[in-house]
Amino acid sequence: MNDARLQVAFGGMHPDRVRDLYDRHGPEGTLHRVTGGGIKTTSRVRAAVAVPAATRRRELSAAGIDVVYRGELRYPEHLAEMPDAPDLLFVRGELPRRPAVAVVGTRRCTSYGRAIARDYGSAIAGCGWPLVSGLARGIDGFAHRGTVAAGGVGVAVLGSGIDVLYPREHTNLARGLIESGGAVVSEAPPGTPPEAWRFPPRNRIISGLSAAVVVVEATVKGGALITAEAALRHGRQVFAVPGDISRASSAGSNLLIRDGAFPVLDPEDLIESLELLMGPPPQRPVAADDVGVQGWERELLDLVASGVGEADDILARCEASPGDVLAALGRLEISGVLRCEAPGHYTVAGRTTPGR
Amino acid sequence: MLSCVTSVVLVGVEPRRVNVEVFVGGGQPAFVIVGLPDTAVREATQRVRAAIQASGYEFPGRRVIVNLAPADVPKGGSAYDLPIALGVLAASQATPKGAADVVALGELALDGQVRAVRGGLGAAVVAEETCLRCLLPPESAAEAVSLGRAQGVVAASSLREAVEVALGHRSGAAIPELIGDAPPTADLAEVRGQPLVRRALEIAATGGHHMLMTGPPGAGKTMLARCLPGILPRLTGGDVAETALTWAAAGVPRRDPTLAPFRSPHHSASLAALIGGGSGIPVPGETALAHKGVLFLDELGEFPVHLLDALRQPMEEGHVVVSRKGASVRFPTEFQLVAATNPCPCGYEGDSLRSCQCPPRAIAKYQRRLSGPLVDRFDIAVRVPRVESDEMAGPPGEPSGQVAARVAAARKRQDGRGTRNARLGRSELDVLHWHSAAEGMLEQAMRNSALTARGWDRVRRVAATIADLDESDVILSRHLGEALAYRGQR
Repeated sequence: MNDARLQVAFGGMHPDRVRDLYDRHGPEGTLHRVTGGGIKTTSRVRAAVAVPAATRRRELSAAGIDVVYRGELRYPEHLAEMPDAPDLLFVRGELPRRPAVAVVGTRRCTSYGRAIARDYGSAIAGCGWPLVSGLARGIDGFAHRGTVAAGGVGVAVLGSGIDVLYPREHTNLARGLIESGGAVVSEAPPGTPPEAWRFPPRNRIISGLSAAVVVVEATVKGGALITAEAALRHGRQVFAVPGDISRASSAGSNLLIRDGAFPVLDPEDLIESLELLMGPPPQRPVAADDVGVQGWERELLDLVASGVGEADDILARCEASPGDVLAALGRLEISGVLRCEAPGHYTVAGRTTPGR
Repeated sequence: MLSCVTSVVLVGVEPRRVNVEVFVGGGQPAFVIVGLPDTAVREATQRVRAAIQASGYEFPGRRVIVNLAPADVPKGGSAYDLPIALGVLAASQATPKGAADVVALGELALDGQVRAVRGGLGAAVVAEETCLRCLLPPESAAEAVSLGRAQGVVAASSLREAVEVALGHRSGAAIPELIGDAPPTADLAEVRGQPLVRRALEIAATGGHHMLMTGPPGAGKTMLARCLPGILPRLTGGDVAETALTWAAAGVPRRDPTLAPFRSPHHSASLAALIGGGSGIPVPGETALAHKGVLFLDELGEFPVHLLDALRQPMEEGHVVVSRKGASVRFPTEFQLVAATNPCPCGYEGDSLRSCQCPPRAIAKYQRRLSGPLVDRFDIAVRVPRVESDEMAGPPGEPSGQVAARVAAARKRQDGRGTRNARLGRSELDVLHWHSAAEGMLEQAMRNSALTARGWDRVRRVAATIADLDESDVILSRHLGEALAYRGQR
């Protein structure tokens, strides 16, 4: 039975079509009909499906790729609840079973969205909740980076084959996710190129794996909104970070808020709401108290934590000289409380310790 | 008969004495110049002959041989017209011998007028060494006078006047005011907002640190860089002479010789224009003109890699050696490098208001170009953010004069160290007085691998400068913290 499912999966057909065929003919019936020409497909799909399952298994284990079938214990419960859940997933790494939190957004992000994605990624992962995103450029990538930096568990859901990392510059990021206990997954067979039509179905998996979806920065016509739509369909809570109303890159997330999404203003706010939804976090992040931050540095740290990351903006809000502000920032960075991504841009480092 | 007039040749930036020996004797009438003259010098025969006759003297109808000694240094240009003419007149006994006892430089017109040439300052230097009077065209004399070398400098605007001045029969022609280049400087009062960059600029000026500014187009990077000469201490003594000789060698007079030079070559500049070169004897390039001043590279990312690589020797050693067929010349290049760049090709990467339109690969390529050995040499890296509209309408900034006073005071504290902080070596840094908290912070930074070995020294140099500005003999943790915030590569 699993043989037939694996063989059909290698055809790389649209998941809706596969589900439709399974409903009518079952996996084995579908396999016979595809290979026998009883169902109209391309010759490429026919040839791919015809390769025996044993050969496929050998190839997969040689490439270090795991297959998780729907109905197995390893298959995430949360995902299985969805009516349009994928029949099987190709996995590299460890697929977490507990519900995750998705952080998604536009590829063309501003530094505002980038900082938020990283901070939220760190904050969520720092609480021990798995973080799901799409490994795309922009918001997705930065959310994943935040996860890795906080030492959390992250899952990247790809639209392409699991061995076709797109964009290529995220190869190391994907490796980092796997090494820190997360996973890279895809329902498309290995070797599938990143075709545009595969991304909307991919987005339903992101929402399916999650109990909540956080939209950081999104345009009106973007994948993030498709994910949010899928999340609503699946009954997941949708959070959105408000942005500048005149900026196209925030129009989508603002629209979600207008339509009833839960607005989030800072990471603590989000964590609190997530606690109501998913129960207490497995871990708690510990702030900078243990490195002797005191006095006005505390104030400065709060400022950075509230999202004021540019050294110039920090200066504008403190009653201090440029030299003093920079001295404090430099000191906080070296003690590991703050992180500086580019000269003059600071975020709170997502340092975590195991739960209380 | 024989006579000898002294003149000058510039070998690189160094003026050297040239003896213009003239022999007038029997034989067939001829006029020959020897001693490695170039075409322009050889053509002096025609100008000198016409000028002598136009001035009412008689050109000797005998054999005239001119030797420019030392005979193995190539000489070029039209500046030897006047010394040759004076020598010919003295040797043919048309004038008394005394007319040849000067250091002379100048081009002759066919009617006997004297035209301006470059090298006036070099001639004055040679005149000082030889204790002779220095006879120059008025405009060239202005160059020497403006640099405080008025001693013995006299001007003549025609050949006849030159003879009379040389003999002491009359005082020289009036020396005009020097019409020189004023560098495109700006005053910090014109800069609105940007408190962090102003602070960084002040530190860079105090310690002579190389500085990199990154920011979107229109943020004011170029203007900030132009403010730097205005807050640097005025040049003094030997520095004035050294820079003046360099600029004179390049033939660009300066209006204000004590103001620190400011050069901003375009990214399309050639290697020779940047480092120095040319055929024959090399002329100074932009790096040499920026000696004791500022070399500003706008749009650093647009500069070809080979130009940036060529900057490394002059930056590290403080001089550059250029070899050509004519001579091998050493130019001093102790400049302070200030560079400005956009964060990506479109300039808006990381901007808070506008999203970047560049493909990620283009950004990576752009930043890769900037990274590597050159960027590793910037002590201070700052982001220059866009100025908000309310800041533009705000009050003017602190004027350059006040900042310059602080810089000068802090520079005094560095005098005992023998060099500006930017050039302190590791052992010199070790003997400075470090507070234990600052030392602990440095160790922590090394442990967190936030610093490389080179970065370690760089941060310490900047921290020393910040302590100087703070009038503190001990380098405290707050000085070090600020220095750490300025480090570029992370």
